[in-house]
Amino acid sequence: MSLEFLVASAVAALTAAGIYLTLRARTFSVVLGLAMLSYAVNVFLFATGRLSVDRPPIFDKAAEGYTDPLPQALVLTAIVISFGMTALVVVLSLRSYLETGTDQVDGRRDGPEDGA
Amino acid sequence: MALAGTTTALAVLLSLAPAALGGQVTQASIAWVPALDLNASLFLDPLGFLFAGLILGIGLLVMIYARSYLGRCEDWGRFFVVLLLFQGAMLGIVLSNNVLLLVVFWELTSLTSFLLIGYWGERAESRRGARMALVVTGAGGLSLLGGLLMLGSIAGSYELTEILGQREAIQASPLYLPSLLLILGGCFTKSAQFPFHFWLPQAMAAPTPVSAYLHSATMVKAGVFLLARLWPVLAGTEEWFVIVASAGLVTMVLGAAVALFQDDLKGLLAYSTVSHLGLLTMLLGFGTPEAAIVAVLHIINHAAFKAALFMNAGIVDHETGTRNFRHLGGLMGLMPIAGMLALLAGASMAGLPPFGGFLSKELMLEEAAHTVWGGSDWVVPALATLGAALSVAYSLRYVGHVYFGPQVSTPKPAHDAPLGLWGPSAVLVAVAVLAGIIPQTLLGSLVSAVAGAVTGGPAPYLSLKLWHGVTPALLLSLLAVGLGLMAFGAVGALSRLRPPLPEARRIFDATLDGAVRGSRQLTQAIHAPSLQRTLAALFAVAVALAAAAWTGGEPVTGGRAQISASFPAVVVWLALLAATTAVVALHRQRFLALVLISVVGLGVSLGFVHLSAPDLALTQISVEVVTILLMLLALNLLPKDSPPLDQAPRRWKDAALALAGGGAAGLGAWAILTRGADTALPDYYWANAYPGGGGTNVVNVILVDFRGFDTFGEIIVLGIAGLAIFALLDTTARGAAGRRLARWAEGLPQSPERHPMMLVVASRLMLPLAIVVGIFLFLRGHNSPGGGFIAGLVFSIALLVQYMASGWDWTQQRRRLPDYALIGSGILAAALTGLGAVLLGLPFLTTGFDYFTLPVVGEFELATAMLFDTGVALTVVGAVLMALAQLARAAQRAEQEPTNREPMDIDPSREGAAP
Amino acid sequence: MNHLLIAPILLPALMAPILLLALRFRLGAARAVSLLSTAALLGFALVLVAQAATGRVESYALGDWPAPFGIVLVLDRLSALMVCLTALLAMLVLWHAVATGLDKRGWHFHPLFQFQLLGLNGAFLTGDLFNLFVFFEVLLIASYGLMLHGQGPARLKAGIHYVVVNLVGSTLFLIALGLLYGSTGTLNMADMAERVAAATPDDRGLIAAGAAVLTVVFALKAAVVPLHLWLPVTYASTSAPAAALFAILTKVGVYALVRSGTLIFPDGPDAVSSPAAYGLLPAALLTVVVGFVGMLASHHLREMAAYAVLGSTGTLLASAALFEPMPLAATLYYLPHSTFSTAALFLLADLVARRRAGYGDALAAGPSFAGAGGLGILFFLAALAAAGLPPLSGFVGKLLILDAVRVSPAWPWIWGTILMTTLIGVLALARAGSVLFWNRRDGEPIASPEPLGRVAGPVAGLLLALAALTLFAGPAADYARATADQLARPMSYVEAVLGPGE
Repeated sequence: MSLEFLVASAVAALTAAGIYLTLRARTFSVVLGLAMLSYAVNVFLFATGRLSVDRPPIFDKAAEGYTDPLPQALVLTAIVISFGMTALVVVLSLRSYLETGTDQVDGRRDGPEDGA
Repeated sequence: MALAGTTTALAVLLSLAPAALGGQVTQASIAWVPALDLNASLFLDPLGFLFAGLILGIGLLVMIYARSYLGRCEDWGRFFVVLLLFQGAMLGIVLSNNVLLLVVFWELTSLTSFLLIGYWGERAESRRGARMALVVTGAGGLSLLGGLLMLGSIAGSYELTEILGQREAIQASPLYLPSLLLILGGCFTKSAQFPFHFWLPQAMAAPTPVSAYLHSATMVKAGVFLLARLWPVLAGTEEWFVIVASAGLVTMVLGAAVALFQDDLKGLLAYSTVSHLGLLTMLLGFGTPEAAIVAVLHIINHAAFKAALFMNAGIVDHETGTRNFRHLGGLMGLMPIAGMLALLAGASMAGLPPFGGFLSKELMLEEAAHTVWGGSDWVVPALATLGAALSVAYSLRYVGHVYFGPQVSTPKPAHDAPLGLWGPSAVLVAVAVLAGIIPQTLLGSLVSAVAGAVTGGPAPYLSLKLWHGVTPALLLSLLAVGLGLMAFGAVGALSRLRPPLPEARRIFDATLDGAVRGSRQLTQAIHAPSLQRTLAALFAVAVALAAAAWTGGEPVTGGRAQISASFPAVVVWLALLAATTAVVALHRQRFLALVLISVVGLGVSLGFVHLSAPDLALTQISVEVVTILLMLLALNLLPKDSPPLDQAPRRWKDAALALAGGGAAGLGAWAILTRGADTALPDYYWANAYPGGGGTNVVNVILVDFRGFDTFGEIIVLGIAGLAIFALLDTTARGAAGRRLARWAEGLPQSPERHPMMLVVASRLMLPLAIVVGIFLFLRGHNSPGGGFIAGLVFSIALLVQYMASGWDWTQQRRRLPDYALIGSGILAAALTGLGAVLLGLPFLTTGFDYFTLPVVGEFELATAMLFDTGVALTVVGAVLMALAQLARAAQRAEQEPTNREPMDIDPSREGAAP
Repeated sequence: MNHLLIAPILLPALMAPILLLALRFRLGAARAVSLLSTAALLGFALVLVAQAATGRVESYALGDWPAPFGIVLVLDRLSALMVCLTALLAMLVLWHAVATGLDKRGWHFHPLFQFQLLGLNGAFLTGDLFNLFVFFEVLLIASYGLMLHGQGPARLKAGIHYVVVNLVGSTLFLIALGLLYGSTGTLNMADMAERVAAATPDDRGLIAAGAAVLTVVFALKAAVVPLHLWLPVTYASTSAPAAALFAILTKVGVYALVRSGTLIFPDGPDAVSSPAAYGLLPAALLTVVVGFVGMLASHHLREMAAYAVLGSTGTLLASAALFEPMPLAATLYYLPHSTFSTAALFLLADLVARRRAGYGDALAAGPSFAGAGGLGILFFLAALAAAGLPPLSGFVGKLLILDAVRVSPAWPWIWGTILMTTLIGVLALARAGSVLFWNRRDGEPIASPEPLGRVAGPVAGLLLALAALTLFAGPAADYARATADQLARPMSYVEAVLGPGE
């Protein structure tokens, strides 16, 4: 198996898990899904620089090669932004739960009819 | 004011009369939207002159009348402002030389009419009448707009004078029929032609001066005006004749028939107006120049007698307190002036000699007599005669029933109206009378000039006199009078015979209510708040479009050489997949899911390490720690269990969508990974990072220098997140949320040691250590993995441990800078660093660096980028602490902890503190 | 090097932290600083428009790194127009928020407001696709803050939808960026335009897929059916001034669609991938219908305004989706109108709600209330604008659109939709107006919380802006036309960024 296959399939798995979880009806699952999607997209974005082993983008005249540093920088930015967003959505869902007494995404309450 | 304005305008108009009627066309044009060929372009030709005269002349009379009609308490200002606006708009229609401008004015008359009908808006019938008129005429206006745009696109210009010269091109165009239909949609709605006539009677909820002005003399004639205006290019085809003449004929007969049975004076007049508008439409529809001239003549006659009669109805209403035939009768003795005026105007409406109405009716019957419709030469004359007969009948009913016959006691004691009320109608009646007696002198030159303008050529001679000898028209006319007398005599019997016709108004109301109900159902069905549906749509559209876009047929796999995976890589991959699957399977066990997702994060970080991305790995793992901490804190307050909500079919559907999305993303990644890369950018960064950016860690140089602007935006995002989180959590203790938190806290087992000594001591020891590590990571960031962001996270974690160990209040009291200040100063520092360059004349965020040598330390580098990075670190610390500390505080408030003054609950150094 | 290009970003970037650090507890001073700063922003924006109106495209290389290696800001007619529009709207909305005391009802209103402006201006000026993503995030997270400002259960519930949907949107944005970087090797929009045009067949699939996902992301921001579901509930449950400011947020989506569709993925015989190809037109027409039908269905004035946003954005895109100069020019004329008229409806809804006490902005008869006359006139004018009836600019805009779309074989559909929905809008607004201002329920007249003159200024200002747009429709349409022409010939943009072609 090639590294490329491992990475591509990991992206697929993380994305699928993320989509499935964000489509659930409770905020906590949605937050988990968003975290999964964020992993997926970080790996995906990173992969656009192609893969190389043991060629960190630390400048050295003796280095025989280097990996594309730009996607790494982009992923770093993306990680930070998604951290800020995740923090906000976690707090928002908590606050909304405390205010409304339900953790369903559409604000419906757990009742006998839909709690099955 | 209003009177003065109208009088002046009338004077100006009359001063232009010789020019206009002498065949000279006065033009004025100001460019408004040249890009659209929409110009404020006006022209005055005989047709425009006639209508402008009607609008201003009758307008003047109506305003005088309205002054007396409206009570003292009424809102005068509003009334006259809107009335003047209407007058202006109406003038605009008849003077426009640009069809788009014409539509502008057209819609303005609909809008002002809406306001005028709704003048007594607190009455339900006014509101309904106003809305109905607006919707019907507004819809017509939009239809007209469509039609005129088509017409303009055929003619290549929206200037009317250009369009009027292109009869052949227009009638040959495939767009002729659609544009004709759309334009007629506008004309028929405005001029209340069947089946759009129903709004006019409803509009009678307006004050009577408005009815007299808008709904008899002017606005409703706008449709007829436009038919006349466009007559040269649109008329003369089979389609025109069939549609226009038939609609007019039907409206004429139907309107007259319904008018006869009205119990309301204004209702009768309204339907009579509908009928006469039908007559005009029919005449224009005949498509012959002769008929067009008759139409012009009747426009003048009708305006005179109908406005007079509306004013008369207003006088009756005003002086007796009712407009209902049942409560009226025999008023001639009490109101002789009004009675005489009504008698004369009514005779003209009935078409009796020697009044103006007779003249135009005779000529109309003459035209009808030789019009063949659908292969039959008797249909049109017969129906026209029937219409005329009914006209006689309802005129008789109006005059006879109100002013003659037995006296009926009225709500108010009746007496004649003041001059202000009857004077204006007297002027109009005088016109109606003179138009019959001295037609040639009064109207001859005007009618022939106007007719010339309508037909676009020299008008055929029209003999304007009362006696033409015994013609078929005269015989039909006599027949009509006879039938009319019979019909009047049999109103009672006929009304019982009248079949219950479906009322257009009810159909309209039902349609409208249905539309509102339907729109609510539709909107509710689409927009019922559902995050799941919203997201599913988003994912589905994205996957579908991306898949559709990949149409080239090129193979997904490219030709780049692949790297074979080592055994540890496969192990990490397997672990990652297993953890991912487990998160999905076990997401309802929330604590476990958190543990599992951190395994996923760890796997991703290991992957980054392996794939030459040490910075990423370091960041990923430290963000991971903070994120999990945050989620744990939140989970503390959220319900721990989550009963499933979705049924199996939904889960399967979602799973299918998830697999499709995952597959698409995976294939995309695969396609990229197996293709060669363009290396222009990485090569440049590699070559310039050290000489140009002063750092060997290329990723860090990109972050703080090449693409420092991204980082600038990124810390702002983080800062705003902190602020938003603060705002969200600050009020948690209040209201419903506070009560819920308090209830939650009651059920918790309390640990006796909330701030255990060992943890406190360890955290104190760790603090300096963590700070040193942070500074180290910060300083070396430019050259080796590290940097402001990671350093900021390390600082934050160290500080967070203090919170955990010693509680919120204690730590908070010992902090010099509040979180929001950290955020603010961080962003400010970054912005000012960038601004420094601007002050030196360099672009924002341009960096500078130099090397310095100090004893002991040796050579080191100072770069402005480090200042920028300091801003990053400050913001990160501020935002992270804001989020986590506030969250911790919310939890703590719920526990209703007493504020601890001491760092530890059990402090060995404190005297007597031992248990 | 024209430093004025950075001003619309730098000014709020400096003001927000200052408001946060120095004026957190001094409302009066914070208001003054915030208003002054926004006024200064408007001044800068006007100068930028004047500069752009010369027809020259200018670029500003941040950090002094040449494109495509560094990030550039680009000023052309379109970006200048958008920045100016933002500043004017912001000024009036901020005035309303201050006059009605909304800024007192929660933390950090003024810093968040400035951050919001920063995000918007950055998005309009940047010439780099990843940087666009960053500014999208800035403007989104600031909008989350503003959207939730004041809170309450309904707002929190709607907030979750808004935030989560946009987070997923951001994820898709990154995927699109990945696909495009992976296939073209650049992030600079001008550079990408050249590389897309020169793409090998091997890369075309990836580029097309990236363009498709990017279109989805922008369409989500613009709230195009079926990606519009988040909008009505969000806009109807936030505070009116926030919603009024958000009138420009959907326009960011429109802007991004227009920018990417003309610069990077222009339509043409051998186009790799154009947004025009993704059914944007039918989707836009459906959006128009859904929006206006929603207006008719609304129970509250604010809800109606939210649907009006959908309707007018749809109208904009129905014309823009043709990606031809004439329709594009019509779109660009209609864009300021659509922004101001929907914002005016939101602010009016707020004024009505403040004056009708318990009846709020519900479309149900209430007792008579103070200032109904004046408010009625404002409502009437705003309704004319929102429906697109004469004499205000909405009508001129719709005329321009109807006139321009004849270039497309789909014109009967566009005409039919626009004319029919205008009628529905008229009906909806007439019902709303007559029930709010004419229909009176018996009861004690409601006393006024404040004189109307003190709070009606911003609405009147928006209406004045519309009147100006009508009166000066000629020059405005000419500017729009020149902008569309500039967009149709992206070479000047590319050369301004990358230097004259080799």
